[in-house]
Amino acid sequence: MHSGTVMPTAQRAMRQGTPHAASGRFRRIKTFLTLFLLGVYFITPWLRWTRNGETAQAVILDIPARRLYLFGLEFWPPDLPLLLGLLIFSAAALFFVTALFGRVWCGFACPQTVWTDMFFAIDRRIDQQFGRDSKAGQWVKSAAHVLVAFFTAFTFTGLFIDITTLAPQLISGAAPPAAYVTIGVLSFTTYMFAAHTRENICLHMCPWPRFQSALLDPDTLVVTYQNWRGEPRARARVPLRPALVDMFSEAPSPAASLLADNGPYRGDCVDCGKCVSSCPTRIDIRDGLQLGCIGCGLCIDACNTVMDRIGRPHGLIKMSTDQSALLPPGQQTAPRFLRVKPLMFAFVMLVSGSAMAWAIATRSNIDASLEHQRQPPFVKLSDGSIRNDYTLRFAHRGGDISSVGVSVEGLPGSAVRVSTSDLPEPAFLCNRRSVSERVMITVPKDSAPEGRVPVTLVLTDKGTHAPLARFQTYFWGPGGARP
Amino acid sequence: MGEHRYDPVTGQYTTGHKWDGIEELYTPLPRWWVITLVITFAIAIIYALLYPGWPTTRFYFPGLLGWTSAGELKTEKDAARAAQAHWRDQIAAKPVSEIAQSEELRTFAITGGRSLFNQNCAACHGLGAGGQQGQFPSLIDDDWLWGGKLDDIYLTIAHGIRNEDAESRQSEMPPFGEMLSAEEISAVADYVLTLSDAKAVEGRKALPGAAIYEANCAGCHGAEGEGMREMGVPRLKDQIWLYGDSKESIVHQIGKPRMGSMPSWKPRLGDDAVKMLTIYVHSLGGGE
Repeated sequence: MHSGTVMPTAQRAMRQGTPHAASGRFRRIKTFLTLFLLGVYFITPWLRWTRNGETAQAVILDIPARRLYLFGLEFWPPDLPLLLGLLIFSAAALFFVTALFGRVWCGFACPQTVWTDMFFAIDRRIDQQFGRDSKAGQWVKSAAHVLVAFFTAFTFTGLFIDITTLAPQLISGAAPPAAYVTIGVLSFTTYMFAAHTRENICLHMCPWPRFQSALLDPDTLVVTYQNWRGEPRARARVPLRPALVDMFSEAPSPAASLLADNGPYRGDCVDCGKCVSSCPTRIDIRDGLQLGCIGCGLCIDACNTVMDRIGRPHGLIKMSTDQSALLPPGQQTAPRFLRVKPLMFAFVMLVSGSAMAWAIATRSNIDASLEHQRQPPFVKLSDGSIRNDYTLRFAHRGGDISSVGVSVEGLPGSAVRVSTSDLPEPAFLCNRRSVSERVMITVPKDSAPEGRVPVTLVLTDKGTHAPLARFQTYFWGPGGARP
Repeated sequence: MGEHRYDPVTGQYTTGHKWDGIEELYTPLPRWWVITLVITFAIAIIYALLYPGWPTTRFYFPGLLGWTSAGELKTEKDAARAAQAHWRDQIAAKPVSEIAQSEELRTFAITGGRSLFNQNCAACHGLGAGGQQGQFPSLIDDDWLWGGKLDDIYLTIAHGIRNEDAESRQSEMPPFGEMLSAEEISAVADYVLTLSDAKAVEGRKALPGAAIYEANCAGCHGAEGEGMREMGVPRLKDQIWLYGDSKESIVHQIGKPRMGSMPSWKPRLGDDAVKMLTIYVHSLGGGE
């Protein structure tokens, strides 16, 4: 290494504030994804959907009614296991992508990254308008940060309360206290995380970097500084190592000569520092793969721009396997994509994904339960007949059932009655909210069973005569309890 | 007491105290600590002034805010009551039959009635209102001493049975042990046992107890044992025997009758609560 030309990493001043803008392929992907994800986030609550003849918010979690609506789908608390499936699927997908392509989630899709990137973009615009050290610029920045943070929180709250009426509710004070708390807390955390702590969340708070090392392997694509090509670093006026000059020509020089020696030459890295100044987490990728690298590839764009300028081929920093950093092209092995680890995660995705799809496709629209009243287990009526009482809870998705019929199987001579109806064919009306009914089964004195016998209660749709639910339960008669 | 001296080794001053040549460094309590201590004193004094706490021999200082835990409970109960006012007011204003017609009020009354029942009635009638054999009648069967229509149930709960309430249900069965001989009581008990057996209609006329029943019991319990609800007279022709269906129990009941009593609940719970209880009890399967 040439003395005086390179400053050791430790002494390099830590960058404060906004990283330098890079331009290139990764920047374009990142900009597209950031805009897309922000668009999804900010537009989703405003979409409308026609549901049971009414136009309502397409995606909303109605906490008081305990309903989650996703366009045409409606979820109830009993669907909660689906959430487990979704979490397993998401975790496997995350591991899958990480095993193949490194931390692309961190670099492109994580909310912390997306919001930080947006705030960086805002800061750059304002810096351009007002100048870097302008006092007014700082105020405008803070105002913009607070505004974006507030709208982030507002949009999130709009997933729980109809967003079209949320603003008037908030102003008039009619919104529930939880809405104010949510907006307050989320505004504050968004402002803190995206405007102030930014990359420190990734470096110091987030657990994901801590276990990424378990997911990366020698075949994973990561952002890599090609050591063999870049070293030794020196200013551009130092002559380039002759072996590098035509390394991609038809007749490559012997591979060994591509490795750095101690001659009076430099490698491809001119130590301009662009890779560091453009890094959102302000690391130096030339130190090798490290915890702070979120895999966004902005340093690749920055470096390629410089390579263009000094007339050298792209790829001094590139997406490659970690092992490629030290070995010249001839000695590298191509990364294998069909490996056990990603395939395993793909299998988990397949299993959990198809299980969820199957569960959604076949799930029942009925949520019903039947509970035998055990205090007392049976009632003797004046004519000596025996009655058992049950509590039936019934709810269903959609608005297509108006009246539900109740009947009993497996108990000869029995008669059924529900507490809200005196009709000869017992039935109860069913509106959209859940219904709780007292169901009474009576058998004459002579056919009353001794002790406990199994019976089946059947619910049918009175309109279509389609069976809705069957409950296996018991009927208690006198005499059985005593030996 | 000496002078504060600068100690070059530690870079601190001394207190000036000396014991056998040993000096003490001047390290006072941190200022923030002292200030915090003073603030806690101030808070303690303010707290003691605002809230009750200082006892005297006969009274206590009630505090400037006039706060009491009982008062706080009352505020919370009033708030809870105010939150239910929309339904409670309607229930208070309407008769029970109208409440039962409105689905909204009926649902509210049954939910509220259930918790009222569990708190006030379940001790005797049981959590499921199944009563207790030999003690308290079941409220979920179709046999009612004083009537199972909404208005009957309302009156029974509001004023109770055989208590000091002027409007309470009143009736009494005389102790026949003082009027009839043991043989006669035994004979009439045999006769009463046949009343609930529909197949014995013909045969029971010839029983020796028939005439005794006709002379002493039929006035209240009816010629066929159909009972009389206006007087709370139990029906004898059904299968439900509160005080037991054995001959022994019936003999005992004729000789030295037991009659249940029930407190009046309107003065204790209020009219709207009684109406809610009525709707709830009526919904349990026996309501007429």
